[in-house]
Amino acid sequence: MDHKQALEGTNTTRGVIKMSLSEKCFNVFNYVFFIVMGLTTLLPFVNLIAKSLSSEGAVISGKVGLLPVGVQFETYKYVLQDSMFLNSLKNSILLTIVGTACSLLLTTITAYPLSKYRLRGRKWLLLMFVFTMLFSGGLIPTYLLMQNLNLVNTFPVLFLPAMVNVYNMLIIKNYFEGLPDSLEESAKLDGAGNIRILVSVILPLSLPVMATIGLFFAVAFWNDYFAAMIYITDPGLKPMQLYLKELLVSSSGDFLKDNVDAAINTTPQSIQASSILLATIPILLVYPFLQKYFVKGVLVGSVKG
Amino acid sequence: MIKKKKSAVLTAILGFTLALSACGGGGGTGTNTPSATPSDPPATTPAENGGDKGTQGGDKPGLRMIMQYGLFDPKTEYVAKYIEERTGYKVEYELLPAENADEKLNLLVSSKDNYDLVKLNAAQFYNLASAGALEPIDELLESHGNYIKQSIKPESFGSATIDGKIFGIPETGSGVSIGEELVVRQDWLDELGLSVPTNTDELYTVLKTIKEKKNVIPLTMSKDSIYGDIATTFGILTDWKEVDGKLMHRAELPEMKEYITYMNKLYKEGLLDTETPINTAQKSIEKFSGGNAAMYKLAWWNAGTTIAALEKNFPEAKTTIIPYLKGKDGKAVVGAKANTTWYIAILKSSKNKEAAMDFLNAKLEPETFKGIAIGEEGVHHEVKDDKYFPILPKFNDELNNASAFLTGVDEEKYPIYWQARVRKDPILQAHFETFQKNAEGLIVVDPMSTAPPIEAVSKNLLKLTTLLDDNVLQFISGAKPIDAYDQFLAQWRAEGGADMVAAANEWFQSTK
Repeated sequence: MDHKQALEGTNTTRGVIKMSLSEKCFNVFNYVFFIVMGLTTLLPFVNLIAKSLSSEGAVISGKVGLLPVGVQFETYKYVLQDSMFLNSLKNSILLTIVGTACSLLLTTITAYPLSKYRLRGRKWLLLMFVFTMLFSGGLIPTYLLMQNLNLVNTFPVLFLPAMVNVYNMLIIKNYFEGLPDSLEESAKLDGAGNIRILVSVILPLSLPVMATIGLFFAVAFWNDYFAAMIYITDPGLKPMQLYLKELLVSSSGDFLKDNVDAAINTTPQSIQASSILLATIPILLVYPFLQKYFVKGVLVGSVKG
Repeated sequence: MIKKKKSAVLTAILGFTLALSACGGGGGTGTNTPSATPSDPPATTPAENGGDKGTQGGDKPGLRMIMQYGLFDPKTEYVAKYIEERTGYKVEYELLPAENADEKLNLLVSSKDNYDLVKLNAAQFYNLASAGALEPIDELLESHGNYIKQSIKPESFGSATIDGKIFGIPETGSGVSIGEELVVRQDWLDELGLSVPTNTDELYTVLKTIKEKKNVIPLTMSKDSIYGDIATTFGILTDWKEVDGKLMHRAELPEMKEYITYMNKLYKEGLLDTETPINTAQKSIEKFSGGNAAMYKLAWWNAGTTIAALEKNFPEAKTTIIPYLKGKDGKAVVGAKANTTWYIAILKSSKNKEAAMDFLNAKLEPETFKGIAIGEEGVHHEVKDDKYFPILPKFNDELNNASAFLTGVDEEKYPIYWQARVRKDPILQAHFETFQKNAEGLIVVDPMSTAPPIEAVSKNLLKLTTLLDDNVLQFISGAKPIDAYDQFLAQWRAEGGADMVAAANEWFQSTK
């Protein structure tokens, strides 16, 4: 899409000048290259859809390519009735919503004061934030900390430690710095306090960066399995990604070696495929609406007003 | 001036916060213990209570158990509720993840977070026992373990004994059974006028004819299972073999070279799947059930789906299980391991050790144990001709994950109960039963099966097995010339193989 626009752009600026042979070749090459790239990401997905709709026998014997063989919908019915799947989906959705809201709030109110030059010790504070970006206490001390805070095996452990993301905070801070100081001054003259200025003046102007960072957070929370893998042992609290990962790992050869009881109970491949698909759909639904912000997001905050 | 003062104050605050958070680490553990104590008071009761075998239900302490990964939620499992009802103990189960289970286990155990019981595989058991994290249970077994001692043979306890102390309850599982056997497309054999091969020479001819006439992969093999039927004819059975009163690892056996030479010949001539080094079992099954391969070493637990898929694709397809091939001496042998699969240990940091033992003991009370293994008669299973058959779908719905909850088994009865799990599917059952029948009288049990955990073995076995298997695949596929085997063996020995074999022999001599 963007690629096409870019091409058209070059055509119009050049006006009537004909494309030279080398430009044509370049165009053809570009189209072929990007179509191939597109297909390499699209085809596995199509294959997965076909698998999820095919009979298990056809999947096992490798008969399923891009079209389903022996169409059935039982797998979807099974997955949608599976309490573990539904529960993990619920956990993931909740985590994404709550986590994104909290993170966005905390990251913003951290970024705002730090964007003001008049804040005393600003340099030091920033340095300390950046320090945590580069160094961390390591996995085991962090685990022990969570444990002593009684957070292990609780829902909040999945988002509390990740609430301020320094990288995202710096992007927001830079964006705030790009806003003219005069806006703040005029609001002050009207008698607004700091919070009022942030909420009524700065935030409405910062929607692009908020949407971008919100999407960053949402995608990160949706995709995260590591925190859950480390801190969660209660299967009722596991988010979608961890559930999926374990579903796949527990059907793999390495896991089943010497474990006959697990080998008898492996999950059929068609059910694995439909679980993956059903788990992808929610974030897939969000993407088309937010993708434009994603593209912008790379630039947001990088160039000061 | 004011500015300077402010920043000084700020620095002070920061310093203070840092100091506080640093103390928090130490203080945290201090405060954590009391915060956990509310659940502890009952812990002291069973200490007195445990004496009279915990007959007065009510005040039994809650226990926390770490289990291996499983795709289920213990809170909603029928078996968990059944165990609670029968034993009177409320147990909170937590599952290790499917991946990085060892790291997570170490984390859980080192955090001393009030876990009482843990179900471990052999390597985990050895690591935790040697790290001093497990409680020696000899005395607890004496005082609280009557049913346990009745169910588990003393030899099995040998595998859980380190330096003369028992550190866990060994769970041997379903007993010695054979998992895989070669299966061939009988309809193709008939078509080509071939008979079922009985030794490696005949196998070669059969594969060669199939290759010439049918243009399919004659034999497919997965990279995860590279020994078995063919290797046994050369005398390669399990990891360990007794040769002239000494233990030898299969890597060191001169027969290993013969085996890889034979397989390399098959590979070179296109009789063995050229993708063998990258095939997973799933991939091989795909080829076999898709009609692209004629022979495969099928595991019985995969037989149900594989054969069903094959028959759906080719209604005329027929398969035959090839009886174990005969070696040069005209005799067939089958290697099998009788290792302890799981160990159930009580953590040293547990505050409910006696209760934990009492709980484990109560689970092996014969009626309770039977209920955990195969549920209630008439509800979950039925008895026909003295065999246990599952009642579906109830059995699957409620007992599919029951094995995960076992903590030691009745070694006489469990292999019999367990077969109900095999009888869920007639094809699967037929394969399981034929495999076992074919193997009758031919089984050679791995001599290290009853060995206690030995450091040099536990430390090296996994690494060396991977090293060996990777290399064997390279030799078979010709990526390395077979002349280089001795060079590889030297590397294998240098990377811990020599130590491992020496330590294994030291134990082996001591048993004589």
